[in-house]
Amino acid sequence: MRVISCCKAVPEEQDIVVAKDRQISFEKAEWKFGQYDLNAVEAGKQLVEAAGGQLSGLCAGGNILDNSKMKKDILSRGLDDLYLVIDESLEQADTYQSARVLEAAIKKIGDFDLVLCGAGSSDLYAQQVGNQLGELLGIPVVNAVNRIMPQGDKVIVERALENEIQVLEITLPAVLSVTSEINVPRIPGMKDIIAANKKPVTKFTLSEIEVTNSLPSSTVLSTLAPEQAERRLTILEGESEDIVDAFVKLLRAELK
Amino acid sequence: MTLNNVWIITDNQNAVGELCGGGRQLGAQVSVVLFGDQNQAKEAIASGADKVFLFEQPENSVMIEAYSKSIAELLRTEKADLAMVYSSIRGKLMAGRIAAQLATSALAISELKVEDGRIITRRMVYGGAAMRTEKTLSETVVVTVGTGVFEAGPKDETRQGTVTAVNPNVASDGIRVLETRPKQGEVVNLSAAKRVVGVGRGFSAKEDLKMAEELAALIGAEMGCSRPIAEGEKWMSKERYIGVSGVFLKADIYVSLGVSGQIQHMVGANPSKTLVAINKDKNAPVFKQADIGLVGDIYHVLPQIIAKLKAQK
Ligand SMILES: Cc1cc2nc3c(=O)[nH]c(=O)nc-3n(C[C@H](O)[C@H](O)[C@H](O)COP(=O)(O)OP(=O)(O)OC[C@H]3O[C@@H](n4cnc5c(N)ncnc54)[C@H](O)[C@@H]3O)c2cc1C
Repeated sequence: MRVISCCKAVPEEQDIVVAKDRQISFEKAEWKFGQYDLNAVEAGKQLVEAAGGQLSGLCAGGNILDNSKMKKDILSRGLDDLYLVIDESLEQADTYQSARVLEAAIKKIGDFDLVLCGAGSSDLYAQQVGNQLGELLGIPVVNAVNRIMPQGDKVIVERALENEIQVLEITLPAVLSVTSEINVPRIPGMKDIIAANKKPVTKFTLSEIEVTNSLPSSTVLSTLAPEQAERRLTILEGESEDIVDAFVKLLRAELK
Repeated sequence: MTLNNVWIITDNQNAVGELCGGGRQLGAQVSVVLFGDQNQAKEAIASGADKVFLFEQPENSVMIEAYSKSIAELLRTEKADLAMVYSSIRGKLMAGRIAAQLATSALAISELKVEDGRIITRRMVYGGAAMRTEKTLSETVVVTVGTGVFEAGPKDETRQGTVTAVNPNVASDGIRVLETRPKQGEVVNLSAAKRVVGVGRGFSAKEDLKMAEELAALIGAEMGCSRPIAEGEKWMSKERYIGVSGVFLKADIYVSLGVSGQIQHMVGANPSKTLVAINKDKNAPVFKQADIGLVGDIYHVLPQIIAKLKAQK
């Protein structure tokens, strides 16, 4: 089975700095791959382990993707090879623009059976790129996939709706967005990290994948941190009887 | 100034009231796409719809999402300015597919208004660290909307509207529904709880949650948790995780135990009046947003706290 897992590079949200005027800054932020994209990589790895085949990673984003630490990180998680579409403009891409770019890259890569996406990107979490990508490719597309079982030229999947589980038979090729419950991504070992150095990486520019410009769906007027409630910050430290006593007193006062 | 044509698409009848309430505020004409029966169409009209398009439930092996293309076609021919899709899992898939057909994005919004004939949306980004305000540019704007964004208006059973049955020839899209089985869900409404005790990965085994449950029982609180406790560990149901992708609390007091306090969690906790936190790491972000904190190991301090609360009962 030829599987492509899509991943997005995102700034570490814990490193966001909020200024007095509530503007936010990522200048000090580390970059990483989206937490839930790792579930898509792991799901791909498990399929390839069970049914044979090849697992590729596909990322579209800015120059950060060319960072060797980033490339090594994602390759060490079980990918056989990695495809990158790099253009600074992709940092601002909306879900439709991102889906268009991934569609063009996938067509360039060639044959595939399954494209996997995570539950949502760690930064914007629109949960839509997989859905839109499937529609653009004109192939079966499903979100909230909790389990994937290969079966010849089809897969049987379980999809977790709000109050029920749907069991679906899906003809390949298809696009599936997996839940963050589907698996626990493995932590790469030393061997995986060393092996990552030798895996092939293919870089594309936008013109190489022949994606035509699509207009943005919106313009951003502002991105502001919400007003923070003032907190009292009465923090006690220690496990002695006195400290716990003092804590219980404070707690009781709140419960009156 | 309002929009001409607002469309609502929902697979959940409970969302009809609020979405129609919003539709009436925003648009001159409100059209609703439903996948149900005549009674549901009537309810939509009473709630504010002018036109209802009733898509027949497809045969059992076909998902309603297979209608996405026909719905996009309808939005195009009827010149919809705005399509608001209920943000259920099926709704999100439909919204994405419909938007792709219309060459636009699908935005998950928490606020929406019309200014100078343009649709202005607000949504949470970066795990809740910021709110992004956007001016939409598409001919037909596609958004997903959850509950609590709009208010339902009063129902008026005498309102008039048209109901059109639509029965497009759907291709199965290469997807066959083999089986649908109920999920053993839980009915909890954590956002209505006045007191909540929340557990995080500071707990190392499921049995240990008993301590937290005992504390919750003593102070009359509901139990909640962080997302990894519900999704990774599966120790509690998903209806109980607090945060940007889960429940927003409106509690008087929220006591978190072994929760690190990352932004995605705290956004859901923050609307609570008083935040109390216990964590063994004094640098845990949870202490930056706590009213009362205790730096200590839950395995050491929680039994003492429980004993003291019991003694003073
Ligand atoms: C797009 C996106 C959406 C998300 N949405 C949500 C959401 O809605 N809700 C949510 O909760 N998370 C959400 N997350 C996940 C979030 O980023 C954090 O990973 C998660 O909240 C951490 O859960 P935790 O605090 O239980 O675990 P950890 O971060 O692992 O923290 C455990 C804490 O327990 C403390 N601890 C350990 N042992 C003890 C002990 N014996 N006694 C006392 N303290 C102890 C540690 O010091 C640590 O601070 C989301 C993430 C993303 C990317």
